[in-house]
Amino acid sequence: MASHSSPTFLDNLKALPGNLWNAIFRHGRPTSDRARSQAVFSNVFLHIHSARVHPHSLRLATTWGLGVGLVAQFIILTVTGILLMVYYMPAIGMAYDSMKDIHYVVPTGRVIRNVHRWASHMMVVFVILHMMRVFYTASYKKPREFNWMVGMILFVLTLALAFTGYILPWDQLAYWALTIAANIAGSPNELTASLGFAEGFKPGDVLKELLLGSSEAGQHSLIRFYTLHCVFLPVLTTIAVAVHFWRIRKDGGLARPQGTPTPAGGHPPKVGPAPSMAAPAVQVEEAPRKTYGLMCVVRDRSPHTGKDPDETVPSWPYLLRAELLVFMVVMLMCVALGYFFDAPLRELANPALPENPAKAPWYFLGLQEIVSYSAFVGGIVIPTLTIIGLGLIPFLDREEEAPGIWFSGPRGRRAAAQAAVFAMIAAVLTVAIPVNFGWLRNWFPGIHQLVIIFVNPGTLLTAAYIVWSLVVIRRTRSTRLGGIALFTCFVVGFVILTYVGTYLRGPNWDFYWSTSQWPGH
Amino acid sequence: MARSLMAEVDIQSTDRRVKWWLLIVSLATLALSVAAALQENVFPKWRSTRATYAEILQRKATDSPGRAIADQFEIGPDQHVLPELERVDRCVTCHTGIDDARMADQQQPFRTHPGDFLAVHPPTDFGCTICHRGQGLATALPDAHGNVPFWPKPMIPSRYAYAGCGVCHTHLNVPNLVTLEEGRNVLERYDCLACHRIDGRGGTLRPGEAGGMEGPDLSHVGTSGFDATWYEAHFERFQQAGHRPEVGPGPWKTSFGPIAEEDRRMIESFLATRVGAAEFVEAKSLFHTLGCLGCHKIRGTGGEDGPDLTHLGEKNPRHMDFAHVAGEHTLANWLGQHLRWPGKVVPGSQMPVLGLSDEQIDKLTLYVLSLRVVDLPDRFRPKDHILVERFGQREFAADGATLYTTFCAACHGPEGEGRRYPDSTPFPSVANPDFLAAADDAFIAETIRSGRPGRRMPAWNENEGGLREQEIARIVGHLRDLGGVGEPEVETAEHRWVQADAKAGQRLFLAHCAGCHGAQGEGVDAPQLNNKALLAAAGDTYLVETISRGRRGTAMPGFGRPSPAYPVLPDSDIKSIVAFIRTWKEPSK
Repeated sequence: MASHSSPTFLDNLKALPGNLWNAIFRHGRPTSDRARSQAVFSNVFLHIHSARVHPHSLRLATTWGLGVGLVAQFIILTVTGILLMVYYMPAIGMAYDSMKDIHYVVPTGRVIRNVHRWASHMMVVFVILHMMRVFYTASYKKPREFNWMVGMILFVLTLALAFTGYILPWDQLAYWALTIAANIAGSPNELTASLGFAEGFKPGDVLKELLLGSSEAGQHSLIRFYTLHCVFLPVLTTIAVAVHFWRIRKDGGLARPQGTPTPAGGHPPKVGPAPSMAAPAVQVEEAPRKTYGLMCVVRDRSPHTGKDPDETVPSWPYLLRAELLVFMVVMLMCVALGYFFDAPLRELANPALPENPAKAPWYFLGLQEIVSYSAFVGGIVIPTLTIIGLGLIPFLDREEEAPGIWFSGPRGRRAAAQAAVFAMIAAVLTVAIPVNFGWLRNWFPGIHQLVIIFVNPGTLLTAAYIVWSLVVIRRTRSTRLGGIALFTCFVVGFVILTYVGTYLRGPNWDFYWSTSQWPGH
Repeated sequence: MARSLMAEVDIQSTDRRVKWWLLIVSLATLALSVAAALQENVFPKWRSTRATYAEILQRKATDSPGRAIADQFEIGPDQHVLPELERVDRCVTCHTGIDDARMADQQQPFRTHPGDFLAVHPPTDFGCTICHRGQGLATALPDAHGNVPFWPKPMIPSRYAYAGCGVCHTHLNVPNLVTLEEGRNVLERYDCLACHRIDGRGGTLRPGEAGGMEGPDLSHVGTSGFDATWYEAHFERFQQAGHRPEVGPGPWKTSFGPIAEEDRRMIESFLATRVGAAEFVEAKSLFHTLGCLGCHKIRGTGGEDGPDLTHLGEKNPRHMDFAHVAGEHTLANWLGQHLRWPGKVVPGSQMPVLGLSDEQIDKLTLYVLSLRVVDLPDRFRPKDHILVERFGQREFAADGATLYTTFCAACHGPEGEGRRYPDSTPFPSVANPDFLAAADDAFIAETIRSGRPGRRMPAWNENEGGLREQEIARIVGHLRDLGGVGEPEVETAEHRWVQADAKAGQRLFLAHCAGCHGAQGEGVDAPQLNNKALLAAAGDTYLVETISRGRRGTAMPGFGRPSPAYPVLPDSDIKSIVAFIRTWKEPSK
């Protein structure tokens, strides 16, 4: 019968699977460009991506996948972190034992904990590499200054997450790292004391108590760090990541060759000499302030009539597959490391028995090296100046250039190489001179404490780097090259000081060429 | 158009590469994840261990309780949760047979726990690690045995297992080895082992034999106590043995006999040390024979030349220096090698080579491994521990002989004969009959109390060395026993009665005394005479008598006795010397 009576219940039941499927996947299989675009555009999780992407963005050497890798690590850390939270107890009598339980008794607990630890270390490495990639390809230039600063916030949040997590096992490593951090927080006292302030004014104590939740490292510190690590910092990071992605889209999208349109359809800002009188003035377009969703591409004449041919490819599946690959590579690295190498866990925290030397996690060892010269300057002043300085780079270097060229060309490469050599020599001298000859207190025993605080190898090294970059600016008349010089100095200095702090410092922070020379007993 | 075609071709090849790599990487990740899941959940060693034990249980199930145990056995982790001890012990995950007597013939880890320790120390209450140490939280070797980096409490090696007793049983009233052996010998001499078993020996006569009768096992009477009237009861049986045919003569006639009172005391004090841990008692006894506490302190009593030993058994091997120690980096190994040759293991150590035998080194290692202090609730403490902690009883037998060998013997010799170590001034002979004849008890006690400041003799009073007055008195008494000389009769009550020419005394001193005692009495090879404590404690009688008698057997001649080597000094000369000695109010060196 061909009559179209209203659908019966049975009809509905028979059609249920198909209708259910279509309700969820409402645009059909992504076999047409239109469906592919819709799959990305109308999905809440995927619509971070633009519907179309330039193939150049998919090349490995463009960005090395570092940003995606970071997101992958963050997801891995969140998932393993939640699993760990099921068994970890943030009480000082139970934290250590719960770590042992996770390792020995919880099914697959060992691997999950290891993955969490190695992913966190990898994330710190990646965040530094990502920052280097973005800087050296000048991808912080206008209009991306704000995103650069959001990235710096993410950098600080990554370090904070790594450090707060480091404290949670409450073993000897954790406890003494916390003590060092607390004492750095308390170091403003050093300054106010040597300035002769009254006994009552102790800003360092306020900072220290803010960090520790008490005057001593103990239960209150642990629960504070636990809350920071598991709730507050991840929420902040998620928000910052969302802003970071949003700004990528709005400021011009993923990295691609100069001159190609953004997948959204606008033109990237044109650079070059001011238009001459001969050629008609070409309107320089800003990055699109409004993007319109591209719903569909047909193979016939494109909507960009008169503009460059469209070289973009649909994000589904090319971009997403490439991202998935990066995600899986990161996952493989984490799982492999987690399977073969156990995360360190030392003895239960013992306030009566300091580790000697008590070393911060590796990413803070460079900082610990300069802290050894002055806690206040090395631990608070220089890091703050560094973060602020790095954050302000896009405002100090306003030269316009197309982003995406490594070192901005041969001049930049030269500037970087020279800066690297200078930075290496300066850093080595910074360590070698005090080791061999002592420092101010050895030569002038009566010297005022303020001089000791401010005139120390750390400050001199920082000053040397700043002076070098100013010299470069003056000589090359280019803030970009000066920026390259300063950034390279920072990276090289960081690497060398971290190396010194890791391998060349022993008990009492004395200098030893190797661990076998450390005094025993 | 052409460009977009090229872009299309490019993207296809890129995409193909991406797809291949994605497949490879995903498969690798999957493989690793599956491997991890299997390794941790299906293949951990403890599972196969428990499976093996399940088979053993099935084989040994000969009756219905056995079969019930075999059927109910689970292949899962097992643990003792001990909140009062603040630990969780998972040793029983693999050590499944410790409380099953049928498993005595099995290989480890299934073997029954030796002895009857588990009856008194049930694992549900005590766990395992409180005695054996190790990492109770772990479920895998070698982590569980604790011989891994960053676990500070590795398991006590099984040959030193008795060292585990020391964490609670600090109080055992153990005398020195001489006394212990004497007690053991008396017990054997009186043939007590005919009827009684002690530490697995004895009970040679079996019931059912002609008139044979076995007495109770005495291995634990030190803790369980024994009837104070045991001798009277035994004696009565002995007397009745001939008169009552139903009892029969048996051992009451052949083995038992009257026991002298002093021997009875020795038997009883030996039995007081029988607590079911003979090895530990022997080790502790040896420690209290060699005089180690002359230089080291334990729980506040002892000398200060060497480090405090109270927590020696808890030291973390990671913080120790193994640069000169061969073999494994364990505490037991370090201690053993240190005892053999201290100066090699700790460069610059003052501790001399003691010349101990291997067996002695083993015993001492066992004892020092037992030196641990763990905070435990009172209900875990043996009651005698309270006597030590609350009532101030000593942790060892505090008779004069044991006190002497514990604190003095290392320097002054086991018989008080004095001793000389290389690179050290000789330690005086304190049981020397001439010394004991010249010195009264008050002087010896004062010397022990105040020591010799600036020299090697420490002050042993309660605030410094930790010895109590009665204990010092007992040591003095023991010295008199060793030397066989009683207290001298004091002729004059005056402490300082010599009146003579100090200048003449100086000439005489320089001529006869300065060679050994130094021109200012600072002591070269011989005791320091210008020592504040000596001059305060010694009476003139002592000084005169010493110079006059000398000390036979030592380098000190008796200047009042005729001798081929030294001139006899008349009384007046001796007094002059004493007068000169008295001019050293403050030591000049």
